[in-house]
Amino acid sequence: MTRWSTRADRSDGRAVRAVATPGVAAFVLACLLAACGGAIRPAGASGSAVPPVASPSGPAAGVARSAHPSDAGPPAATLVAEGGDPVVGQLGSFTWGGGGSDSPWLPGRPVVVGAGEPLTVNVADGVDVSAWTARRVSAGTSDGTNGVGLGGGPAPITFAAPGPGSWSIQVVVTYADGLGSGAYYWQVTVR
Amino acid sequence: MTTCLRGGRAFALTAAVFIGLLVPAGGVLAHGPDPAFSGGSFGQDQVLRFRWRSGSEPSPAIKTAIKEAAADVASSRSSRAAMFTYDAAGANPIGYGVGATCGVNGLACFTRDAPKGFTMWLREQGHVFDWGTLKWCQSYTTAPNGCYDAETIALDEFGHVESLDHHVNYSTNSDYEDAVVQTFSSTKPSTGWNRHTFGRCDSATLQLKYDVTSSSAKVSTCLDVATVLTLTASSVSIPTGGTTTLTARLNAVASASYGRLSGNALGGRTVTLQRRATGTSTWATVGTMPSGSLGGTYVVAQRPTADTQYRAVFTTPTNEGINGDTSPTVAVDVVTCTTVASSDVAIAIPCA
Repeated sequence: MTRWSTRADRSDGRAVRAVATPGVAAFVLACLLAACGGAIRPAGASGSAVPPVASPSGPAAGVARSAHPSDAGPPAATLVAEGGDPVVGQLGSFTWGGGGSDSPWLPGRPVVVGAGEPLTVNVADGVDVSAWTARRVSAGTSDGTNGVGLGGGPAPITFAAPGPGSWSIQVVVTYADGLGSGAYYWQVTVR
Repeated sequence: MTTCLRGGRAFALTAAVFIGLLVPAGGVLAHGPDPAFSGGSFGQDQVLRFRWRSGSEPSPAIKTAIKEAAADVASSRSSRAAMFTYDAAGANPIGYGVGATCGVNGLACFTRDAPKGFTMWLREQGHVFDWGTLKWCQSYTTAPNGCYDAETIALDEFGHVESLDHHVNYSTNSDYEDAVVQTFSSTKPSTGWNRHTFGRCDSATLQLKYDVTSSSAKVSTCLDVATVLTLTASSVSIPTGGTTTLTARLNAVASASYGRLSGNALGGRTVTLQRRATGTSTWATVGTMPSGSLGGTYVVAQRPTADTQYRAVFTTPTNEGINGDTSPTVAVDVVTCTTVASSDVAIAIPCA
């Protein structure tokens, strides 16, 4: 039986530094998660909007990553604004390695950015992206059916921050090589 | 390249979707059939028997919802996709409760190992997430706003088990109801919160993976399958007063990207016969060709009085995802056999 211990789950909102290469990304992420312990708070985030996520329940917790991504759950994704710290997204629905999980539209990890600022999402662990879409709804809204598109297409995942306000942004990623898909969320406050 | 996705999207997108690689056409994700997992499929009409996971049985209301979702699959699959039925001795466990292995934020989850089987979990009523407390609508006499419909969620999971990945919506999610298998689940009373049938883009992929149930079954409007229409005559040279039988054949274009629909005979459609006198340019409609005895064939007898050209026309229907086509022209010549009787007048006599 597959027990989903997602990398994004295990990150629990800790911000990690975006890196340029997949291998380094995996290494840095592993270091941060395993050794750094404390959260690196995203710039401007209070940290209180989204309470810390409980440790993964059941045997999923502590499952070591295997060499093959299919065995370890979907990768984490980080959102990076210019000059800001990367913020790990909250993982919603995903499919991965012969299984998957379904979630609602999530509030997302808090991050503060400037209006129109370019936002980049990086998927960790060297997992390539074949396509993506980004949408927003007003923060506090769980109904995504009235979302507003922010962009989409092939990698890289880059789009402009929406106008001033507080938004819940969903980025849906289709992983390359038929690995599946994942929805990541950030609660973006736009100054 | 053959255009096949309704709305002008490229045929290549269907192919990409079908193999689970949603490579955008033109660099932009677009509406289409649900992506499909690249792994194996279950057998056509395979019956997957599920049981309640020992020690993690759903509450009675949730059991009922899951069974109803299984029935929803059967009634709305629009294909020969696998079906699900409860069997206390079934090989496929469905669990409920704190043992759910759905990640931190999952309402429900699944694993699939086609064609062997699957597993499914639903979180328990009252589960506390960091974003709220789970409420299953079925747990209430009057379902409150903000609850999740367990039947809808289970149908979503069954769709995944079949091979469906999350539907790729328009940027506004305005097509949310085209699929149950979505990237986010909705609560009462949001759009689609209690959908109990597969959406057209769910069934589109099921059709590609598992085929339609018969040659006359409708093809999902989430597809845009090119067709080929041919026309043959039992005789292209007939005597005056003679008859020729015209047979049209309507098929889906043969293409690997159409999966199980590739080359399918398309019966029960409206195929019209047209004719014109040889040497003229205006077509006149003869009428609708009745269905033949073979699937995808349409047959009618004609008795032209002069050389005549025929063609069959299949107009793009509005209620399914196949394109129209027009057959090549078939010319039927009427041969006058002339013999000279014992007079100065040539008398036309039908050929023997």
